[in-house]
Amino acid sequence: MKKALILSLTILIASSSMTWAQPKILQIDGSTTVGPIGDAFAAEFMKMHPEVAITVKKTGSGDGAAALVDGRCDIAMMSRFMKSEEFKKCVNKPGDTVVFPVAHAIANDGVCVVVHPSNPVAKLTIAQVRDIYTGRITNWNQLGGPNRAIVVISRDTSSGTYETFDGLVMNKEKMAANVEYVNANPQAQARVASTQGAIGYVGLAFLEGVKALTIDGVAPTRQTIAKGTYPISRPLFLFTNGYPKLGSLVHEFCTFYLTERGQEIIEAKGFVPLTVY
Amino acid sequence: MNHPTDISQYRGEKTASVSASAEFNRPLLLTPGEDLRGYLVGHGGRIFLFLMTCISVLSVLLIFIFVIREALPFLREQGLRDSITSRNWYPERAEGAGAEFGMLALFAGSMYVTLASLILSVPIGLSAAVFLSDIAPFWLRQVSKPIIEILAAIPSVAYGFFAILVLAPYMQKYWNFDTGANALNASLILSLMALPTIISVAEDSLSAVGREIREASYGLGATRCETMLKVVMPTAHSGIIAAVILGMMRAIGETMVVWMASGNANQIPTPWWDISQSVRTMTATIAGEMGETSQNSVHWHALFMIGVFLLIFTFGLNMISEYFLARVKKSGGK
Amino acid sequence: MKNTRREIQDRSFTFFSSLSIVLMVGALVIILGPMLRRGFSAVFFQGTVEFRRMQLAQFGHGDEEAVADEVAQVTELRQEIYAILNKFQAGIEPSALIDRVRSINREYGQELRGKNIVGADYTELRRRARDLRDLLQDALESTDRELVEANLKSVLQHRADPLYTDSVMAEMFVTARQYQNVIQGIDLSHREQYLEPLLEVKDQLRKLLGPMPGEQAPLLMEEYGATRWDIALETLHDLLWQEQWVTVEAGQELQKQLVRREESQFAGTSLAPMFGLAEDHLTDLLRPKRTIYWHYFTDDWKEGHFFGGVGPEIYGTLLITLLTMLFAIPFGVISAAFLVECASEHISVKIIRICVNTLAGVPSIVFGLFGMAFFVLFILPNLDRKPQGCILTAAMTLAVLVLPVIIRASEEAIRSVPATYREASLALGAGKFRTFMTVTLPAALPGILTGIILSLSRAAGETAPILFTGAVDMGPVPRSLFEGSRTLATSGYYIAVGDKIGMMAPHKQYGLITTLIVLVLGLNILAILLRSRMSRKLRGQ
Repeated sequence: MKKALILSLTILIASSSMTWAQPKILQIDGSTTVGPIGDAFAAEFMKMHPEVAITVKKTGSGDGAAALVDGRCDIAMMSRFMKSEEFKKCVNKPGDTVVFPVAHAIANDGVCVVVHPSNPVAKLTIAQVRDIYTGRITNWNQLGGPNRAIVVISRDTSSGTYETFDGLVMNKEKMAANVEYVNANPQAQARVASTQGAIGYVGLAFLEGVKALTIDGVAPTRQTIAKGTYPISRPLFLFTNGYPKLGSLVHEFCTFYLTERGQEIIEAKGFVPLTVY
Repeated sequence: MNHPTDISQYRGEKTASVSASAEFNRPLLLTPGEDLRGYLVGHGGRIFLFLMTCISVLSVLLIFIFVIREALPFLREQGLRDSITSRNWYPERAEGAGAEFGMLALFAGSMYVTLASLILSVPIGLSAAVFLSDIAPFWLRQVSKPIIEILAAIPSVAYGFFAILVLAPYMQKYWNFDTGANALNASLILSLMALPTIISVAEDSLSAVGREIREASYGLGATRCETMLKVVMPTAHSGIIAAVILGMMRAIGETMVVWMASGNANQIPTPWWDISQSVRTMTATIAGEMGETSQNSVHWHALFMIGVFLLIFTFGLNMISEYFLARVKKSGGK
Repeated sequence: MKNTRREIQDRSFTFFSSLSIVLMVGALVIILGPMLRRGFSAVFFQGTVEFRRMQLAQFGHGDEEAVADEVAQVTELRQEIYAILNKFQAGIEPSALIDRVRSINREYGQELRGKNIVGADYTELRRRARDLRDLLQDALESTDRELVEANLKSVLQHRADPLYTDSVMAEMFVTARQYQNVIQGIDLSHREQYLEPLLEVKDQLRKLLGPMPGEQAPLLMEEYGATRWDIALETLHDLLWQEQWVTVEAGQELQKQLVRREESQFAGTSLAPMFGLAEDHLTDLLRPKRTIYWHYFTDDWKEGHFFGGVGPEIYGTLLITLLTMLFAIPFGVISAAFLVECASEHISVKIIRICVNTLAGVPSIVFGLFGMAFFVLFILPNLDRKPQGCILTAAMTLAVLVLPVIIRASEEAIRSVPATYREASLALGAGKFRTFMTVTLPAALPGILTGIILSLSRAAGETAPILFTGAVDMGPVPRSLFEGSRTLATSGYYIAVGDKIGMMAPHKQYGLITTLIVLVLGLNILAILLRSRMSRKLRGQ
């Protein structure tokens, strides 16, 4: 009993070296797709500026926007552009707390429609993908594949990847009720890689263990995405409140993708750099 | 007789007859000042304790107040009827296209997962309780109790890991399910998590049934099976029902496991008995979508509304289990 | 006969009851077993020379000299493999060679000027060198085997020419000779078909042995090869075998097929022996040694959990749990004391009991909602702070979660102190307060302590309440109570659904979860032991 008391007292005293002050942290919230880039940039930054602390939260593009509106974060990572409601919320804020969202496109990404590698189906049209996701096609043998029910996997509604897919493929139609929702790209990849009848969509960096389909005759590769010929490509954004002050940390972070090191990181993480350096 | 006129000898001084006694500063006679002070200290202390205890009341009130407060705007804007009858949960659609907040599928999902887990855990739990209270030798009972406590102590994230990394592929491979993240998967894990609760409460109430009843039954020639099933368990039925309800509460309130393992498809399985399809529960919806919504949007309030429903559910179940436990206590621990 | 039926019923009933316990133990073993085993492999594993190199460079653990020695030895062996690879690559992608040949020509010109050869001689020699260069360049670029061989032969005719013996042009002949050897096994017209498989092979080789000499890795995790022996073996398998999905029947599912690369993609080329070399000498190339990575519990992770340990997570969990206890224990024990000692059957006491039971039944996610709505969005702005989750709010939320557990356990403990103790103390003249503090409380301590430890383990393992009220995914070690923090439970969840790095380092996932399980189980076992020891003391044994 005494020992426990002494132990807890020492821990308390050790942690009392903590202050009640709030140190300067750079808060980055948002997309799980852009998350890996944010993580890697943050790690580089903390190496370059050891006194800065950067916190990265990956809960979805929607949350990134929400956090920027509420002032909970300095930079929002989003894999889609801001919606008009989010813009309205930003500018309708009272008085001097108004938020001016500014977009920085840092990389290109493609939303690849993937299936299990054992699936003989190798190409689909956007209309067919739409039919699968709205429930009009339910079995692979309707598409020239084996007799197996299609297990449809989608990202959850907070995801920018979902929004991109919704906008470019679904034509605003609702997804079927039996669509499974997963929270992040790696989960989607794991589900499709382990389920023979599955179809899902992931970012370009997550193609290991699954097969990417050719959509409308175009395969998702670096070249087709960079040129925009692949129909489901999109840029990835960082949003800030107003253009960051030149020379500030936020500015450095948001322009890091322009440096060679930044582009190296982006490419190493599996995305398509905006420029060919 | 000598009446003492000087009371000072009664005020904390050692008298000759009390030599090596404990040091009590309590005088045998109090002045009015001391009496008043003692009274005030005593009652003041009690009031202080009462206020400290009221923290728990305060917490419950605050929980209800704040969760309901954030849910009220949803009621005002969307109304109740559509939410509990419609299955379409599309909260993030643009305002023009019509965001819908139908929670029926979520309720159904929670119900499916909870009931399925009860179907699995109640028989096993009751058998285990019977075993522990009647059949097991003493040493086995001592060993089993820690095992059950360990089962209860494993964090839910660990269970969730197991469910999605091991159980889901297993189901797909060997049972030929379309998808391994489904209601059955979540139910299996939830039943494991509800088992310790059911076992401990049921075992308590079975043990509390007096020996006389058992001995009377054996004396009349009944076998162990007949004694347990027809005599002891009916006697302990209040406790058993309370155990089941507590297990149900555990299953309804679990978040992490269902978030990872139930597939999160916003549907009511067709046909209704097919639990190998993916479902979504209320808790998983809150956990999954809370991070994404911006404060004070309709979606935000809708999530708090789901929280209110959860609260009402569990509160109701709590009341029912309280009632049954009270009956156990009232009938003298039977 | 009815009696046998009853007997069978009885036997089967007993059997099924015992089966249920067996089932539970079995479930426990099935769930915990693999997870603990894989989690322990995060600390006990066979580490390669890459691991030791990484530990030294990134964390400063290890003996510098010993590691440098090992690296030098291993680099020597690896040169062989890289040599084969580079030669083959030169044959496939001669662009580097072409550049080199052109620069040789330029250097020769400089050499001539340095030797003060001018005028017609200079022009003549330069012309001849240029012709050689053009021949060689055509040979390198062309895919027509006849042309290539003819050109190479005519280039090599001049090899013995005394003009070029000790000049830089000798290198040109060496290059021509090497190229001649390399293209023996390659189908020149289909040179491109080797390009992509070569990239795959180079990728696997990088994953196995680290970046090739002269290359710089863009990401930290690519700076080191396979750090664990089991990962190395898997990578070796990917290196040696190629996975193909072949059509067996039209419209039916494809079948997976594994073929060795040296027999399929690189059959007959000069790269083929490299595979055998790598396979046979892998132990020498990587030097696996049994490693116990104790620093796992104190190191921070790098590159998203790919390297390193879980130190800050443990720190965060301990901090939040301790704070929770700090908030919850006083309220809990005092409330329990009140409920037992001073409470009458007044209606207010009934309400308090109902509330405690209600608190116990609220789902954990609703606590998260409440924590966010109340602590983060209501209290923090009133203290002039940004409404962000932090350690303080997480601890307060968990304290409310844990309160009913402490109250219940303490209540039971205090109630189970025999009345005779209390009565004896009162009879000796002690007041109610003194009785409680000196007699009842110490006697009830085992039970109270058990309750505290159980709620400690519950608070350490909870994920849902702190997801929005204080846990972060990536961030520095917290220096203030108003920062968010990483914890074992939430990091385990984030790593499972987050970056693909979590999938590349599964031992890290399991390691996190195992650390959490071990922590929680340890606390529980401590509670059980304490309880049995103290209750034995209490019973006077």
